Amino acid sequence: MTIDFSVVFPFWHILLKGLGLTIAITLTCAVLGSLAGFVISLLRNVRNPLIRLPISLYVEFFRGTPLLIQLFWVFFCFPVVFGLTLSPYVSVMLALILYMAAITSETFRGALKSIASEQHDACTALGLTPRVKVLFVIFPQALLRATPPLLSNVVSLFKESALISSVGIADLMFIGQNISNSTARPVEFLTAVAVIYFLVAFPLTRLVGVVESRMLRRYAY
Amino acid sequence: MNTPRLVAAQPQSAHTSSTVSGGDFIQLRGVCKSYGEQLVVMDNLTLDMRADDRLVIIGPSGSGKSSLLRVLMGLEGIQGGTISFQGKPYIAGGKGCGKPLDESLRNQIGMVFQHYTLFPHLSVLGNLILAPTKVHGLSKAEATEKARAYLARLGLESKLHAYPSQLSGGQKQRVAIARALMLEPKLMLFDEVTSALDPEMVIEVQNVMMQLAEQKMAMIIVTHDMHFARHIATRVVFCANGKVVEQGPPEQIFTQPKEARTREFLEKVLHLD
Amino acid sequence: MNYQFDFHFLTGSFGALWDGLKVTLELALVSNLIGLVLGFGLCLMTLSRWFFIRWPAQLFIEFFRCTPALLQIVWFFYCVPMLFNVFIDPVAMGFLALGLNLAAFNSEAYRAGVQAVPREHLDASIALGLRSWQRTFYVVLPQALRSALPVLMTNGIGSLQQSALVAIVAVSDLMYVGKSLATEAYRPLETYTLIALIYFALSLPIAQLVQYIERRQEAAATR
Repeated sequence: MTIDFSVVFPFWHILLKGLGLTIAITLTCAVLGSLAGFVISLLRNVRNPLIRLPISLYVEFFRGTPLLIQLFWVFFCFPVVFGLTLSPYVSVMLALILYMAAITSETFRGALKSIASEQHDACTALGLTPRVKVLFVIFPQALLRATPPLLSNVVSLFKESALISSVGIADLMFIGQNISNSTARPVEFLTAVAVIYFLVAFPLTRLVGVVESRMLRRYAY
Repeated sequence: MNTPRLVAAQPQSAHTSSTVSGGDFIQLRGVCKSYGEQLVVMDNLTLDMRADDRLVIIGPSGSGKSSLLRVLMGLEGIQGGTISFQGKPYIAGGKGCGKPLDESLRNQIGMVFQHYTLFPHLSVLGNLILAPTKVHGLSKAEATEKARAYLARLGLESKLHAYPSQLSGGQKQRVAIARALMLEPKLMLFDEVTSALDPEMVIEVQNVMMQLAEQKMAMIIVTHDMHFARHIATRVVFCANGKVVEQGPPEQIFTQPKEARTREFLEKVLHLD
Repeated sequence: MNYQFDFHFLTGSFGALWDGLKVTLELALVSNLIGLVLGFGLCLMTLSRWFFIRWPAQLFIEFFRCTPALLQIVWFFYCVPMLFNVFIDPVAMGFLALGLNLAAFNSEAYRAGVQAVPREHLDASIALGLRSWQRTFYVVLPQALRSALPVLMTNGIGSLQQSALVAIVAVSDLMYVGKSLATEAYRPLETYTLIALIYFALSLPIAQLVQYIERRQEAAATR
């Protein structure tokens, strides 16, 4: 059996299209998921158990079940439960957003907790109102500290997005598998797809490290 | 020698020294505070302070020294007793959470902490003008001018736009003091502000506190530095087990303590002098 | 919502579900074993003085961490038989793919644990005259493992979730059985809900345990 990577080249623009869809979906769900995650992390600090407990349950559930089942559930059960027909793209994005929101809410929670308690004391000593304190002291610092892990979450989402191929969305993974099946050359094509994912994820991961050391050192300590 | 004023002039009291433990600037009566069932940090504590006093509180760890400052600042509550400030009721134990009843009184107290609590995401200027502009309605220009003036008197004007991560420990503490002074407090609380500093930086912070002392700022200081305590205090208060064991002028406490407990403590702390 | 819930059809399928669950648990346990042991080995390699040991290990880790787990599984299933002309039992392939993936993430967790040991402890142990291997064994390792534990456990739970991916390559784990059931009986709602609840029931106790351990470590550190 011969391995010949030149068979990949005629297909490079199709693979690129798949990558484009993957990136588009990743970015959309990352942004919406992070916003939702931020709101959720705030809600988890609310005193009223009627709000706090369901939210906590939601977060634990989405962190404690496979993304695949979440995807399938939204894709197949949502229309049944809510009587709406969603386009396949909306379905998978909804699942990814719900997942991302749960993950990022934990990230924000960690960031909020990492702000030293003495900062709260300083705010009280200066007579800052709760509104001023949250808006000008807590929120900016939480955002700063949450940024590196948040970027990590986005890179994770990029990788997890490959799951949407299982419900037929034409992302990079789906296209790669498709071509490898039709040409019966899984080694070349699957490896090529792996390399493409790697070439996107690896630099971003390194970037997270740089952001962490440069930015945090200047503004967070 | 004309020391630049850091604070507005305080009204002079009729008594020139505070050997008498009277005073109506602050009055603590029977204050009780405990953490849970076991840890009692203030046990029927009674203490007076005059408007021109500089109290230095000394004592073994866990004797409630920091708790006293934190209670006055409204960071923690008391379970029993009363505290009055400037003749008005300030904190009443048992009622509600034992915290300050009057925000406007609380705003006249400033506090500096042991671990530099400058906001790291704001520049020095940002730190100084945050409270005056957002809470007390000063315009940004006014607040900036004021901040610049304070920093100039502390010799830190060049650091106006620097970030806390770029400052040394001593510089951070001095900025923290300036930040509290921006609100023109009537009383300053210092909670072991030099304990976390390298020795060569301790002196620059203590100099600032001496400047404030010369301008008759009322202060309550908790410190381990007995040398400094002797220098700056008008009255030294020795607390142990949540009670005031002994108080008096520094010369008296440090050379001729009356109580055995005080003697015991000072022997341990001063024997290296 | 006009839907007649009908959980009855599930009662007949308990056997199949139980078999699927067994496979899932097998996958989770074996991949964790591989991941913990191999991950530790990889960590040691990345900390080695020799470039030729460090570099391949680093490459391996980066590759497994920067590509989708699904892709890794699919790659194993389709490419390994082709490349090496071997036929391995699908479940064993699953062990391998999931195990190697977990090993890469765990090696990072171990490394973070080792680097979290304060420099002062190393200095103190040198000052006490401990030899190199004694320092590693008695001082560094216990502390490194203690701080790495919560992350290792969280990664382990992640591996349980990822085991569901083998359903895509038709390995009869819980997910695959559920999918077949759902399609056969036209009842995705009950089936997928049940499957999700089972995974949740498996992960939740461990996640709570991790939180408990983290809280205790935090409390010990602040003393």
